[in-house]
Amino acid sequence: MKKMILGLSVFTMMLVLAACQLGTGDGGKSITVYSERHYDTDQLLFDMFEDETGIEVRVIDGNADQLINRLDSEGPDTQADVLIIADAGRLHRAKAMDLLQAVHSDVLNENIPANYRDADAMWFGLTKRARVLVYHPDRVDPSDLSTYEALTGPAWEGRVVTRTSTNIYNQSLMASFIEIMGEEAAKDFAAGLVDSFARTPSGNDRDQAKYVVEGGADVAIMNTYYIGRMLNSSDPFEQEVAETVGVFFPNQETTGTHVNVSAAGVTKHASNVEGAIKFIEFLSSETAQGLFSSANYEYPVNERVEMDALLKEWGAFVAQDINLSVLGEHSYRAAIIMDEVGWE
Amino acid sequence: MIFGRRLKNSINLFSVVSVIAGMLIIVPMLNILVELFSPASDTWRHIQTHLLRGYIVNTLLLIGFVAVFSASIGLFTAYVVTRFDFKGRRLLSWLLILPLAVPSYIAAYTYADMLSYTGTFSRALRAIGLRHGINIMTLPGAVFIFVMTLYPYVYMMVKSALEKQSASFTENARLLGASKFRSFFTIVLPLLRPALVAGTLLVVLETLNDYGVVAYFNVRVFSFAIFDAWERLGDISAAIRLSAVLMVIVFAIIFLERFLRGKRRYTLHVKNRPILRKPLVGLNRYLLPGSLWLIMLFAFFIPLFQLFYYARLTYRHVLDISFIYLVINSLTLAITATFLTILIALMIANFNRGRQSAFKRGLLKVTNLGYAIPGAVIAIAVIVFFIDIDHALYPLYRLFNPDTGRLVLTTSLAMLTFAFVLRFMAIGYNSIEAAYDKVGEKFTEAAYSLNHSKVSTLIRVDLPLIKSGLISAAIIVFIDIIKELPLTLILRPTNYDTLASRVFRYAREEMLQESAVPSLFLIAISTLLIYILTHQKKKGVRIHVRKS
Repeated sequence: MKKMILGLSVFTMMLVLAACQLGTGDGGKSITVYSERHYDTDQLLFDMFEDETGIEVRVIDGNADQLINRLDSEGPDTQADVLIIADAGRLHRAKAMDLLQAVHSDVLNENIPANYRDADAMWFGLTKRARVLVYHPDRVDPSDLSTYEALTGPAWEGRVVTRTSTNIYNQSLMASFIEIMGEEAAKDFAAGLVDSFARTPSGNDRDQAKYVVEGGADVAIMNTYYIGRMLNSSDPFEQEVAETVGVFFPNQETTGTHVNVSAAGVTKHASNVEGAIKFIEFLSSETAQGLFSSANYEYPVNERVEMDALLKEWGAFVAQDINLSVLGEHSYRAAIIMDEVGWE
Repeated sequence: MIFGRRLKNSINLFSVVSVIAGMLIIVPMLNILVELFSPASDTWRHIQTHLLRGYIVNTLLLIGFVAVFSASIGLFTAYVVTRFDFKGRRLLSWLLILPLAVPSYIAAYTYADMLSYTGTFSRALRAIGLRHGINIMTLPGAVFIFVMTLYPYVYMMVKSALEKQSASFTENARLLGASKFRSFFTIVLPLLRPALVAGTLLVVLETLNDYGVVAYFNVRVFSFAIFDAWERLGDISAAIRLSAVLMVIVFAIIFLERFLRGKRRYTLHVKNRPILRKPLVGLNRYLLPGSLWLIMLFAFFIPLFQLFYYARLTYRHVLDISFIYLVINSLTLAITATFLTILIALMIANFNRGRQSAFKRGLLKVTNLGYAIPGAVIAIAVIVFFIDIDHALYPLYRLFNPDTGRLVLTTSLAMLTFAFVLRFMAIGYNSIEAAYDKVGEKFTEAAYSLNHSKVSTLIRVDLPLIKSGLISAAIIVFIDIIKELPLTLILRPTNYDTLASRVFRYAREEMLQESAVPSLFLIAISTLLIYILTHQKKKGVRIHVRKS
């Protein structure tokens, strides 16, 4: 019994000692990033940043809401310096929870157009993704496609697929509709779209494209970069699917195609603010932006950057003319509306 | 005076560890359970009017079907393997555990992919001009995935109970003229009840806790609802309310079982005469082994072949030196957390033997809590708890290192390990309790009466007796930890990757092909472990009780 207690206390002491070693500060030579993006290209960029500046990048990657929650619980003691999230709505939530700080950087202001950064300089867009219509050329004539709203008529009943209402990209799409056309009209749109669904929503973006090629539906609402990545998939049959379908940018004559960003902000209690700003500046630089575009098929926010050939082929398009902060402001109402109209 | 003496008698290693463990489990939970007493938000009312009914119906349907099918398959496979003799029996007897090595979320992604337009199965059918109309991303599809990946819990427990069941009961029944069926339903099955129930309960709890499968298939059950309320609706108190409803369901299930079991005891002090396995005759020679292989095919080999095919496509750019670290991280983490979980579960199980006071019963329920609460909610609770501890210990840290940051334990692996122990305590405890149930208290009481201390009795009498139960508890906990996702993702230190987190990274980016390599590593480790533990040399259990 005594031995056991002795053993236990020695064990605890060792644990504490080991932990103290871990907690040693390192005076500005590293930054900690909480990131929702974790593509292999991102790791490559982090390594490049380390080589260039000598600042070590430590990462925890995870789901946006969990990272935000962790940041919130850690409060002033957090180790995080940078928060990267793949949706403007969620970044707005982090801002509203007072987890970010304003940053003044000429480099960022120059690299990133004003509508892709926060009005209070709390977060900065890094990449754009457009939510477009993907159709089967045998069954849909692109001249029959026009807007998102046009998919709600009886002509489209049982022909449209998209992901679930829990998917953040759909939630933000709805939020943008609330901003542009008001809540009533947005709700009518959602209800009409549900009537057009070819199946109860399930699966991820790639699954929607496959379902269109399979013949289950004629049009899918999905993000552009998934098509780019399917074209370069390691599975030859996925490449085939992506080659079969056509991509249509809706609402070109009217309100513009829905665009979302992945974006970064400096945390309120960052211990290495200078390093954090340098890091975000690096991600907005031409090198990094070029890689986002060529390896992940996202649209660069930095307009000086050459786009990937595939993106060029799709051509320039008109995006919704809204400040993306509103996606966060309306995201809750968007979710409620989707539940009310029975979008599963 | 009497009270004082009783208190003194009841203070021992087991009670101290149990109470401390109970406290450590309940304190973090209190932090979030307070949320229950906050007034209902608009979000909660929204959930009530539009969603709650669906959640309850879907959850009950899901766990109902999963429970019935996995109990049947587990019972069937275990019975065939222990009671009949046929070619390949020894091989099958451990192969049938292997589906446990395939995480449910990996099985779900793999099957959905195979049945999708570009999938192997659909392409094969198209090649001969056929189409299939199977949509696996539905509630029945989820039932299939859970049954196939979780039935081994039932199989393992029932098999070990069947192996210990003495032949004399059934033989006597048959001699007295009972038919095969009657003796099965009136003798064998009732005796298997604790094992069958414990196994099925584990399956149900695992199902309730899963998030990966139900999110991908969009099957709206409680675990889905909790994340949804938290993330999409951004209302953590609604999420906690939903967890509370889930907890009520879980406790209702556990109570129902305890109530139906009543005061019956399942300890048997009968000379154990092993059952002679009967050779199979007639059509059964092909039918029974064939059905076992069929289960193996669907639960293990088909997903495995698919993963191998994808691994072949992607290993060149996925596999690199960092995999060594992934494997080491996964292993060390899982081993440490398993060891601690089993150790503490053993202490609590010992504390709980014998007469049950209200306090003990309460403590037991508390330690089972971790399993009823979804991983993501546990994660919040644990972070808040560790930040509090770090603040309290800060002066101590400064003694060692004046420059230290405030969050020491919070940024170390201790937090994740703690969360694992909290989360999987119920599995460890329930398996050990089932093992103790089988042994009874005869030997332990004898050892006490021979003046052995509690610790010495534990080590020299109880441990050898429940060794096999302990081993299967350790396997289950280990495999659960190595494939665990939400806690690993959110509580790990920076730059700390495990195999599971790597699988998740690819799967969430819809790169199933790339996730095949880490998935296979994960399955290989669990498979190896199952192989080693099922192939230990069988030593007879000898108990030395010193005469004094």
